[in-house]
Amino acid sequence: MSRRRHKSVLDRESAPKPLLSKQHSRRRFLIKAGGALAAGAFGAVPLRGYAADPVNIGALYPTTGSMAQIGVGCVAAAKLAVEMINDAGGIKSLGGAKLNLIISDVQSDTTVTRTETDRLITGNKLSAIHGCFASALTLIASEVCERAKMPIITGSSSDQLNKGRKFTFTPFARASQFARAQLQMSKLVSDQPKVAVIFENTAFGTSTSNGLKELAPGEGVEIVMFEPYSAGFTDAGPLINKVKASGANALFSVSYLNDLILIVRTVKQVGLNVAINGGSGGFVIPDFYKNVGKLAEGLQGIAHWNHDMSPDCQKVNEAYKKITGDFLFEYAGGLVAQTFMLADALERAASADPQKVREALSTLDLSSGYAAMTPGGKVKFGPDGKNVYGRPVGVQWQNGDLASVFPQEDARAPLIKS
Amino acid sequence: MLETVAQAVINGLLIGGIYALVSIGVTLIFGVVKIVNFAQGEFVMIGMYVSYFLATYFGVDPIVSLLVSMPALFVIGVLVQHFLIRRVLGPNDMPQIFLTFALSLLLLNLALLLFTANYRTVHTSYSDEAFHFGGLYIPEAKLIAFVVAMALSGALWAFLRATDLGKAMRAAAQNRDVATLMGINPNRVFCVAFGAALALAGAAGSLLMPFYSAYPFVGQVFVLMAFVAVVLGTLGNVLGALVASLMMGIAESLGVQFVGADSGLIVVFAMLLLTLAFKPQGLGGGRMR
Repeated sequence: MSRRRHKSVLDRESAPKPLLSKQHSRRRFLIKAGGALAAGAFGAVPLRGYAADPVNIGALYPTTGSMAQIGVGCVAAAKLAVEMINDAGGIKSLGGAKLNLIISDVQSDTTVTRTETDRLITGNKLSAIHGCFASALTLIASEVCERAKMPIITGSSSDQLNKGRKFTFTPFARASQFARAQLQMSKLVSDQPKVAVIFENTAFGTSTSNGLKELAPGEGVEIVMFEPYSAGFTDAGPLINKVKASGANALFSVSYLNDLILIVRTVKQVGLNVAINGGSGGFVIPDFYKNVGKLAEGLQGIAHWNHDMSPDCQKVNEAYKKITGDFLFEYAGGLVAQTFMLADALERAASADPQKVREALSTLDLSSGYAAMTPGGKVKFGPDGKNVYGRPVGVQWQNGDLASVFPQEDARAPLIKS
Repeated sequence: MLETVAQAVINGLLIGGIYALVSIGVTLIFGVVKIVNFAQGEFVMIGMYVSYFLATYFGVDPIVSLLVSMPALFVIGVLVQHFLIRRVLGPNDMPQIFLTFALSLLLLNLALLLFTANYRTVHTSYSDEAFHFGGLYIPEAKLIAFVVAMALSGALWAFLRATDLGKAMRAAAQNRDVATLMGINPNRVFCVAFGAALALAGAAGSLLMPFYSAYPFVGQVFVLMAFVAVVLGTLGNVLGALVASLMMGIAESLGVQFVGADSGLIVVFAMLLLTLAFKPQGLGGGRMR
């Protein structure tokens, strides 16, 4: 016993000495091994195959990092769309050329998005690009595409994407339209909507909520509380306490998934009777229901695409469900339509040249087929690249599914008032 | 008005209980082993995933899964101390800082690789329920978490006071060299301290699971508050960390209520700065316990 104790004291005294030799090499090995692993895990993965002279389409999505769960779904939808077009005979005016999807991971990171977009354009002979889900990423990709004169089509909703750009096409509703539709939906729930707006204090939260604030008086909606919060809080209790004190009968939460789950649960615990509108993004994906469960029933949201809008949407939804097991969510569904828009442009351009594809996109005018899977069912781009018929669709969680409930023309189920 | 304040205090106290479990772990390790464990938050994250997988695949209630997560984290703690921390204990602080920081990064990225960035929640029958009385409410899941957290803190307190091993730990915390001379095996004491601290982190994870989502970055949310609480309550002082955590929970909640939902932390950090300015040793008065 005494010897062991003695040894431990000695160990401690001599501990710093062997630090350099043995430890150093092990650490080096770990660094190197880690680097090798990382190099294998990232990077673009070109999908090869098919016959001669395929038409290359670039796809920029975050398949790793914080937005990975949506990015992975987008890639699955992009592959499905390409498969559908190729199975139907490819681009006929180009001798039945097949579409070839080249996927690049933008890692949910703006710097990576810039380099990956550059790399995708310079490293491949592309005809067009689609991407990137998050507006912050799409804005950067679209800048790079403008400089390289490469057409990019996107479902991202930032209004900035339509400013001073010639190669950027946005077939779906813009952020400003989302805000107006949300306000109109609150009037369906109550004749005198008193809305509490809570939003995370980021660019996304601030711009979306400011849009709501500006439009509210014109829509006859009273905003009784307008409160930014720091994203990633540990407890929604204090915030909901404030909502309760404001006397609101409707709650607009501009939040990402984790905060929204806490908010919804706390509202239930407090026993507060408010109609919650969770907006879009993380709110209209299957994961939201999986996480929140029955509490999601009756919650409202807003989307640029929904899987029950038309028979075509439902057909694509079924195909997607077979592959992934989940329903086709907003962004991925819109992406299928976008791929068909690109196919239509390629068909009419009869060329894989990006400039000619851009010209063909700018004269695109469709009201049928998979490319017209938009709320309202029509696509035609204005000079700013905006779909002149673009509008959002109001949705509500009903029986574990997302039902279109607003506006009247797009509604496939009646709005349930809780 | 009074009701609003009362509710804010209740909310703050409840979340403060979770902060306490994390910060007591940090302060215990600092007090005994004399290193700052930057990876403490990641061990909370591991605790959450343990409870998540047990609940999802075996239907174990997250609170019951404490019985798995705490021993598991204890063993991990002993292994980390014995094979990693022990080798960098010495006069130089830098290797220790790098080691625990690297451990934090490693665990975080490993979790990203294995579990992806998805949010994972467990739904229990009491997740969305609350007790109501006189206009106030107490969420059931948080009440359970608070009670268990306080019980565990009390158990640790009793352990440090009453058992030989606990006394040895306090002795090692007060003066390592003298403790060694008195026949205390430092590495054994360190292993137990590290294990106990990680077991508390694991408990925090399990207790969080019924009302919070697990994701790889979740530890970072709680570890920041833990570090503030540890400094506020005097480094190495278990009781100080407990009291400071509860105070911070309340301060944050009142801050959200009366300053702004994006500035609840301002009150917390103002509290920290004022304490450091007037009582640089922290609220514990500089006594190690």
